[in-house]
Formats: sequence, C-alpha cells, structure tokens
Amino acid sequence: MANLLEIRGLAKQFRLHILNGKVINALHSIDFDIAEGEILGLTGQSGSGKSTLMKCLYRTYLPTAGQIVYQSNSGPIDLAAADEHALIALRRTEITYCSQFLHVIPRVPALDVVAEPLIRRGATREQALAAARDAFTRLSLPAELWDAYPATFSGGEQQRINIARAVVARPRFLLLDEPTASLDAATKDAVIDMVLALRDKGGAIALISHDAHTMNRLASRRLHLVEGRVQEVIHA
Amino acid sequence: MIENTKFQSAYNFAFLDERTKREIRRKILKAVAVPGYQVPYSSPEMPIARGWGTGGLHITLAIIGREDTLKVIDQGSDASVNACSLRQFIERMTGCATTFDSAAASLIQTRHRIPEEILTEQQILVFQVPQPEILRSVERHENKTRLMHAEADYSKLWVSLYEAYVRYGSLMRGAGYPVRVNGRFMMSPSPIPRWDVPNLSGARCLYLFGAGREKRIYAVPPHTTVEPLEFEDVRFRVEDWHGTLCAYSDQGQAFLDEIYEEDSTRKFVVNDSNFLDKLRGGPRPPQRLFQNPQ
Amino acid sequence: MTSSDWLLRVRGLTKIYGQPDADSLANTGPAAATNICPNTGAIVACADISFDLYPGEVLGVVGESGSGKSTLVQLLYFDQEATAGSAHFTALDDGATDLFSLSSQRRRYVRNHLLGMVYQNPRDGLNFNFSAGGNIAEKLIMAGHMHVGNIRQRAGSLLSQTEVPVARMDQTPRNFSGGMQQRVQISKAIANQPPLLFLDEVTSGLDVSVQARVLDLIRQIQSELGISMIVVSHDLGVIRMLTDRTLVLKHGRIVESGLTDQILQDPQHAYTQLLVSSLL
Repeated sequence: MANLLEIRGLAKQFRLHILNGKVINALHSIDFDIAEGEILGLTGQSGSGKSTLMKCLYRTYLPTAGQIVYQSNSGPIDLAAADEHALIALRRTEITYCSQFLHVIPRVPALDVVAEPLIRRGATREQALAAARDAFTRLSLPAELWDAYPATFSGGEQQRINIARAVVARPRFLLLDEPTASLDAATKDAVIDMVLALRDKGGAIALISHDAHTMNRLASRRLHLVEGRVQEVIHA
Repeated sequence: MIENTKFQSAYNFAFLDERTKREIRRKILKAVAVPGYQVPYSSPEMPIARGWGTGGLHITLAIIGREDTLKVIDQGSDASVNACSLRQFIERMTGCATTFDSAAASLIQTRHRIPEEILTEQQILVFQVPQPEILRSVERHENKTRLMHAEADYSKLWVSLYEAYVRYGSLMRGAGYPVRVNGRFMMSPSPIPRWDVPNLSGARCLYLFGAGREKRIYAVPPHTTVEPLEFEDVRFRVEDWHGTLCAYSDQGQAFLDEIYEEDSTRKFVVNDSNFLDKLRGGPRPPQRLFQNPQ
Repeated sequence: MTSSDWLLRVRGLTKIYGQPDADSLANTGPAAATNICPNTGAIVACADISFDLYPGEVLGVVGESGSGKSTLVQLLYFDQEATAGSAHFTALDDGATDLFSLSSQRRRYVRNHLLGMVYQNPRDGLNFNFSAGGNIAEKLIMAGHMHVGNIRQRAGSLLSQTEVPVARMDQTPRNFSGGMQQRVQISKAIANQPPLLFLDEVTSGLDVSVQARVLDLIRQIQSELGISMIVVSHDLGVIRMLTDRTLVLKHGRIVESGLTDQILQDPQHAYTQLLVSSLL
C-alpha cells in the first residue's frame, strides 16, 4: 500500500532556558515511512525517544529539523512545518493521539467522551452514542459506568475509554501510546482486535507498547530506538 | 434739547436686552429646525430663581411682541401663585394683554399641562422644563447622553421601560413619558401627564420647551410626529378614570384632579381651569381625544 | 488564503497610552523587559499583535498582569481605541472592512450583533440597576426585538441554558453569587448568537467548584453553537481546558504562539517555559 507518512531527517532538540539554556538532543535525524493499513511499533528503553517521536508526529512537540510528509485527504502536508490551523483541522478529522493516560474534560459522562469525536466528524448524536455503546460492549466496560464521569474510574477502565474514544472515530492515522498497559489478558485482546479492525479498514497506526503480547500481535514492523536514533528495523 | 428716551424706562421691552433675545431666538430657530434636539443656550440671570420657570420665561420674553395676548398656566390653573407672578411680571415688562381664555391667547406659557382645548396655527405653547434630558434617569453623564442622542442609542431607555413593565405590570410612568420626535430624537415632554402626550403629535400649534437651570431649548414644530415609546405587545395608555365625571361640570373626558375635602370625602375635578369654566358656561370646546388600545 | 478561511484577521494591533516618540516601540517589549517607554513614559499596552482566528476556533491568550492580554480583547470589542493596526471580520462585509475604520454607530452594531464579551468583573458587563432579564433584554432590544413577551421568553431560555433559575429573572444581579453573575453575563453575551465571543478572565475570583461549572458552560456553548472564542486568562488550566491554540504575551508582544498542547508541553520561549514550569 502507499505510504501515508514519510519521515525524513527528523530531529528534536529541547533548549531549557530555565536551566541556563541547557540543550537536550532527544532525536537525531530519523527516517522512516508508514504505509496505509500498517502498524508500526516503536521500541526501545525508557528515554530512548519513542514518546518524543510520537509527540513530534502529532506536533505536540515542535520538530527542530526534518520533514513529516503526511498524505492528507486534501493532499500532502508537512506536519513539521504546517500551519497550526491546518493541524487543528487534521486533528479533528484524520489524526488521533491516544495517550497512555486519559486526558478528558472533567464532568463529561463516559459515553459522551467517546461519542464526541464522532459528532465532531458529522455523525448524529444517536449514531455516535450507538457506536460508543458498541465499543464499550466489545471492551466489556461495566454498563453502570457508561453514564459516569471517567475521572473517578480505575486505570484499566480509563484506558478502555481512551481506546474506544480513539478508535471509534476511525482516524486515518492513529498514534497509540501504551494502549494495554493496565488491562487483563482478555480485555487486552479485545483492544488488540479493535485496533486490528481499524488497520484492516486502511488506517495507519504508530504504536508504543512495553507489552510483548500486544507488540507481537499488532506490529508488522518495528523501529528500535536507542538514544534518539533508529538502531534497527525489525520485520515481523 | 433732544431728549434721550433710551433711559426713560428702567428696563428694555420684555426685560431682556435685544442681543440676548436675538441669541435665544436663534437657538429657538435651531430647535425648530431639528425637532426634539436640545439646543444649549445662554440662560441669562432673571429676577426669579432658576428652577422656577426661567427657561419658559426666557423663551416667552424673547418671542413676545406688543400685539401678543398672553396666558400663563401652572398645572392647569391660571390662578396659582406661580402663574400669577409670572403673568404679572411679563405684563409689567411688556404691557401686553393677558387672558385666561386658552383660545384667545396667542402665546401661552405652561407648566405641567397642555390645554385641553385644541390650539391652532395662531398659537405658541411654551413649556417650563425642569429636566430636559430624558436619558438622565439611565445615564448620569452629560457627555455620554449627548453621544447616545447623536448615535440614536436609546436601548437603555427601552430597558428602563421594560423594567417598569416587569415591576409594575404596565408602562406606568407618571409624568414626563418618553417620546420619539420626528422618528429621531427621544425627548422629555416635560412633566405633562400621559393624558397630554398624544396632543404633542401632529399639532397645529408650535411647542417650545425651555429649561433655564439646564440651559437647554428644544421644540416640536407644528404637524410633527411625536410617538410615545411602546412595545409591540405592551402599549402606551393614557390615564383612565373609568367613567368618573367632574364634580363641578358633570363631564368626563378631560384630565381630572383628585381632591380631598376637609371632611375627607373625595371628588374629581377637571384640572384645566379655563376648560372647566367653559364646560360650565356653555358648549364643550373642541378637543383631541386619544383612544387607549384594547 | 481566501477570506472564507478565517473569521477574524488581526494585523499589527497596537495600543499606546501617553505620548510615544519614534523609538517607543523599539525601547519596549520583552527584550527591553518593560512596556514603559524610557524616554517619554508612554505605556505600550500591546504592540504589533497579528493573528488569524478561524470559524469555531478557540484561541487562548496568556500572560501575566500587564502583558496586554485584556487590552487586546478590549480593543477588538471597541472598549478602547486602537492606536494602530487593523482587524477584519468576515461576519461584517465579508471581511472587506477594517473594524477600526467604522463609525461609532457601526461599531455599536458590530458590538451588539456580531460580538459578545464576558468581563472578569460582572459589574463591567452587567447593569446592576436593571434586572437579570433586563440586562439580556438590552441586547435583544438593540437587535430590534420590540415584543416584551418574546423578549422575556428568549431571556428565560437563555438563563435556563446557563443554569440561572428563571425565577430570579426579574431580580437585580447585584444580589446574585459571583458564579451566577458570570452566567448572567454569558447569557447576555450570547443573546444575539454572535459568531465571536471574548472571555476576559471569566473564572478569576470564583471558587474552584464554581469555576468548573462556568468552564463547563463555556465548553458546552462552544460545542453546541460553534462560536469562535478568544479566551484571555493567566490560568494555564483554563487555557488547556478550553483552547485549541494559544498566544503568549509579554510586555505587550506575542512572544510565542502555537497549538495549546505544544505551548504547554514544548514551550519554546524562555518566558513560556517559566510560565509552564510555574504551573504545578
């Protein structure tokens, strides 16, 4: 399949002004591609730059150098340099970041948290809520939690809501950071099946996971990072 | 020797010197040209205190001629102390004829009332105005009210009307009901009762308003549209006595005073004293009457 | 870029108090660490502010007291007169007219029909001599509503939308709690369904729980009505919760702008780094 993303010479440097301008070189000249319908795993020890790389792809971190050329529905765009408004639009419709922790607006019921991205993409409220219920059922989230506020949920419950919110909207490019960290084996597989279903519909996914089972089942190719550099590319 | 007559009398005709009169007349012309707009003027010192009718007096003295017939009304009455004092003062300063008859007067100075009898093209009604700024109740600062008039920004006045409705269930506002003149300026009609407000619109006579203390002159020329403020569903209404008749004339359809006798009984009397005299003495004089909306 | 992309385009917006000289702009700003001109004492409240606001976008403006962030929205709401700069707004003449070139009458039209403002102090946005309903009625009357029944119906539904008990509609907001006053202000600001709303430190001075409800309300209004907003706050928590994009102001200048998550997680400018590191 065609490449959805082509990353060339991506580098990230943090300059900490409050520490007298200390410079941290987090990523050095990274090159790789992600194809449509591909799940790319990012591996490496803590501090190797996996999360930094993910955040650069999402533009939460501003890349210092290099290009991230993304084939959006309206043509190629360099995410490293794109106008903020273009990024906001892409985040609304095509690119989703699913972090390790649930960062949702407080005081919104779980169902609405999951339905919201779908509504933003033009679904009716009923359609969106139906999709959210379906996802919760598949992830076996107890029904009494559906109308409760996720802020008070356990780690595993929050994680499921996080996944459901990310996957239900069917992004073209999904960034997944530790999707199964605090889940039991059965739920883990439910999450994995959901992600695979998204991939089968042509979505491209970048994945970070310390869980070997998750990584093995999902990633068809792995990028192993060491100290901010790609050390090797492993094909499954 | 040729006698100098200039100093034979202590005062100029109509008290004011000619230059002052000319200044006031110019301001009156401007006021007539921009109906409802408050024109600042000099408001010279008078031998009565400001707030006792100096504004009306300035206008009357500036426009009165030797052929004029003068009438002075205070709250509908020709005989109250203020009406008498002002009438006698103007009479002594001009030597003009005076009258109680609303139809016979060419120039009428008034406080708080418009005569019930229809005024004609031959007549001018001069109002004494205590507070010319209709927006003062919603905005304290003069610079702001001037801006509001300039930009026709009257929303606050409308809100105060809305508030009156919310508080009292109607657009009750005793005297001085706000009106829009010629589709443009909001104007205080001076503290006349609502009963008189419809008579401002499309009248045959000229209405002039003088506020001496506030140094403002404004006017409603003949045949000018004057609309009391009202909402689409909450309409302006005049006072209603529900068929009560005047105790002296046995007639209604005029602004009535409520009078308490010493034995604490109460009766209603037509407020306009000349109109009452005419009702009692003969045929009812011509009147414009307003029909309250249903 | 065509005019249909942006809703509001601001260029070179500047406000100077006092008499500036030729070097006043050069002698002030973050580099000079002051916004007071050393030669003339003129205060450069904000200078050379440029940005585009898109339809439905929520833009945050952060900075410390005196950074010019409130001045920015006050200029755009015509509370103050801009010294220089332009602002084009597609809701007016399809963006062809500079807002600052309008007559005061047209400005009032824009203010009443196309803009809404919620001030930090409810006293600035509400007239305490009028009832809560009267305050909303003012906006509706200015937009030409002259039917008391309809006005009351609309005011009532706005108040219930913002969770103010309709039973208190005819009371003066003077006796309301701070949070409720703020909600009345919001009702008034959105009464004519403006495409653009300014929020100036709306939750400062409120208790935390009340703050949360006001923020919920703003978010709800944003998602339901799709109103574009400019949110001014010194509170990065508010900015994080409400905005897509953020401008960081210091001494009247934009020192950094970017996606809100980028500003919070990867701040570039020394001042922003200090601001973010002081957050927790």
